[in-house]
Amino acid sequence: MTYEPAAQRALDTAAARGAQYADVRFERDRSENIEVRNGRVATLSDQESIGYGIRAFYDGAWGFAASPDTSDRGIDETAARAVEIAKAGAAIARERFGEAPTDVHAGTYATPMEEDPHRVPLSERVDLLLGAEQLLHVTPQIRVGRAWMDLWRKESEFYSSIGSRIAQEIAQSGSGIEALAVDGGDAQDRTWPGDVGLYQGGGYEIIRKAALRENAQRIGEEAVALLSAPQCPSGTMDVVLGGSQVSLQIHESCGHPAELDRVMGWEANFSGTSFLEIDQLDRLQYGSPLVTIVVDNTLPLGFATCGYDDEGAKSVRSDIIREGILRGYLMSRDTARRLGRATNACVRAESWMHVPMIRMCNLNLLPGQTPFEQLFDGIEHGIYMESNRSWSIDDRRLNFQFGCQIGWEIVNGKRTRMVKNPTYGGMTPRFWNSCDAVADAASWQAWGTPNCGKGEPMQTGRTSQCAAPARFRNVAVGVGYAG
Amino acid sequence: MQASEREALARRAIELSAAPATEVCVFDEDSALTRFTHNSIHQNVAQRSITVRIRAVAGKRQGVASCDVLDDAGLRGAAQRALEIAHLSPEDAELQPLAGPATFGTPPGAFVDATAQAQPQRRAEIAKAIFRQMEDQEQWGAGFVTTGSSGITLATSAGLVASYDATDAAINVKANAATSTGFAEQYTRDEDELNGSAVGGRAAGKARLGSDPRAVDVGDWTVILEPAACGELLSYLAQHFSAQSYVDGSSFLSDGLDRAYAGQNVTIRDDYSHPAVLGMPFDFEGSATRPVTLIDHGIGRHVVTDAYYAGRLGVENTGHALPAPNAYGPQPRTLILEPGSKSREEMIAHTKRGLLVTRFWYIRPVDQRQTIVTGMTRDGTFLIENGRVVGGVRNMRFNQSILDALRACEPASEPVRTGGYSYQCVVPAVKIERFHFSSGTEF
Repeated sequence: MTYEPAAQRALDTAAARGAQYADVRFERDRSENIEVRNGRVATLSDQESIGYGIRAFYDGAWGFAASPDTSDRGIDETAARAVEIAKAGAAIARERFGEAPTDVHAGTYATPMEEDPHRVPLSERVDLLLGAEQLLHVTPQIRVGRAWMDLWRKESEFYSSIGSRIAQEIAQSGSGIEALAVDGGDAQDRTWPGDVGLYQGGGYEIIRKAALRENAQRIGEEAVALLSAPQCPSGTMDVVLGGSQVSLQIHESCGHPAELDRVMGWEANFSGTSFLEIDQLDRLQYGSPLVTIVVDNTLPLGFATCGYDDEGAKSVRSDIIREGILRGYLMSRDTARRLGRATNACVRAESWMHVPMIRMCNLNLLPGQTPFEQLFDGIEHGIYMESNRSWSIDDRRLNFQFGCQIGWEIVNGKRTRMVKNPTYGGMTPRFWNSCDAVADAASWQAWGTPNCGKGEPMQTGRTSQCAAPARFRNVAVGVGYAG
Repeated sequence: MQASEREALARRAIELSAAPATEVCVFDEDSALTRFTHNSIHQNVAQRSITVRIRAVAGKRQGVASCDVLDDAGLRGAAQRALEIAHLSPEDAELQPLAGPATFGTPPGAFVDATAQAQPQRRAEIAKAIFRQMEDQEQWGAGFVTTGSSGITLATSAGLVASYDATDAAINVKANAATSTGFAEQYTRDEDELNGSAVGGRAAGKARLGSDPRAVDVGDWTVILEPAACGELLSYLAQHFSAQSYVDGSSFLSDGLDRAYAGQNVTIRDDYSHPAVLGMPFDFEGSATRPVTLIDHGIGRHVVTDAYYAGRLGVENTGHALPAPNAYGPQPRTLILEPGSKSREEMIAHTKRGLLVTRFWYIRPVDQRQTIVTGMTRDGTFLIENGRVVGGVRNMRFNQSILDALRACEPASEPVRTGGYSYQCVVPAVKIERFHFSSGTEF
């Protein structure tokens, strides 16, 4: 597709209305969703959406307007609306939050893909899910089986009034299965892979890699076994978290607090603020020296990987936590400038309809040196937990409580009996400082999060956290069930 | 977009569909949101969208495709994709016949033209009134002012054409003082009712009252939850009232209807027609939505249904279907907690020692079946001693069974509309005994 003439019209109209800078992002989004529930194809949909969003800058204030109307009149109205909104904000501004960008980028990017999902017959895709879902039903106690698949494709073009010209094709794929076992007033849930499925940047190879059929029977059996498993013990003990749970821990307790718009109070009324205040930069001992977390939007398979972000800045890799010390933030141009830094291109919009804002993107805990099997060494009594079931953290991202679907007691360095309802909680820096082992690269992978909420109007972001299993010492276990 | 334009679009899509039976749903939205922080506007947006969702039905097979290209080529393309998907889909034994002709009226007052036409200058004026309240208290405000309209038209080749139009306007303010924060909100269909001064003043007053918050012991507390807190807690029961959850066994009601689950003074309904809501009178199957009493003076009475689950349970359909097909089953739309007789102030006056909670944050289920949830307080938690609010307390985490809370719950007399991005409800403040806090914070 090419929207260059329409884009030029939008930029010209914005300029004529008084905008000191403008950019426009055209997108064609295609979303295919299949979901099987208890042997029935409960969803099979193909959604296509085409539209554009215009950002206009006037006297320190931004205005944004979006529309699917690509007629000349529609573009003129939308551009004028963006400028009018910017002027209305500028008229009462006590503080100038924005500056017009000065960096110009031209380029293209396409997600590397081994197998185009749309070349896989729909019947084959449906059969994969029906077959996997059927295998979940190992006993009548499995009351709900689910299998799902999402295939997303986004073609976008970005144009700015200072000459940026960017075209991208982003492909993202994901799938998963879930078994809900119910008996005697208890309900136990198991999902695979991880807690939401496997979501990565790429094509149908991501769906095949999830190995839904190969794992379905085991997942069903585990859900049933949890019904009669003992309650997870409570107390202060060591925990080992599986990779997807470490991913969630990064997302909630590092990713969100490192968003610089939160730090600066721009999200204060909804998502909240952050304990990672600017005076802590280069000083705060966020975690142990084993903890290095980087944002890397160039990473192959990353769910948020792209060539350029949604305000037209080029993807880079940069440190957030380096050997335990706070070294950086997830930034946009406007927030980075206030810190005297350059943006690290962490701006995304859910769709053409949404205003671009700072999102987590690919935030990765670098792998350690310990083989996974050796994480249990030296633990006298602890719990190994896998796959998130519950997650809650305060609005400054300090006090957290997470629960997992399944756990195993660790006794004298060995994984022993299965336990149900494992939970743990703590304070973010204390928890990450208790990390004394991160598994090696053999068990490190990208875990996509397809449903991260932030902003107002609320936007659903697609983020990614690469993680390996890790060990934490002296953690409060059993919270929520034992006071 | 006018309802008549959506209806013409829906009829055209049906004409262009080659499927034996076709359902078309047209959604349109034109909304704007002015967001502010540090007493200045930092994000100011408007978004307009029109989506046409086409469901093609061929025998017991169905497929869905949607688009927002509204010319004949776009509609025809989406209709073809939907039919192709239907042909490739397995048969669905639960597929319901498409709805035939029916008449539904939008509740008077749901759509207010001035709200639909509100300009950014109007939102900026309201924001400015909020900023004045903040500056008077040497605080800074963060929040939003939003106005907008939305419309839905559902039409079928069997003759149904039903439309609903509504407007919404809201203010949301978090007041930030040196050591404390406060929160207030307002929801209305009519932008003329928005009152930035009043809402900003309430938020600022809470932040002032909560300065230098003290730590209190964790454990069981008498709490008074203000509507925003009560509503968010109650929203985590919504899934339990779905007939699908009831049948699956994941609802607490799966233990059986007509049993006591809450205190005698707790009545929870789902009612789209409540004057504070004025919601859509039909569901996405084209069935009339009925007000449903879910908990009646503590007794679990009903779940909400769609056509499939009504048939399966042998009950009258309550009209709570989502767009078909879906994996979620029928869902309640607007939970209403019936008010009691005492005012919020009387409840405070009759509390010897307790906590007043303005708002919760990040509630999540810990144990779905037992209705145990965890979450945090935020933006205004206060200590009550001997019938008076004596100051702010630091935020705390709770772990609490919602049903246990409702067994020891007294609703206040003033219900208001509250909500979040995924729910809306009408609730008063409530007083709850033995509400369990498990850990604290330093702020």
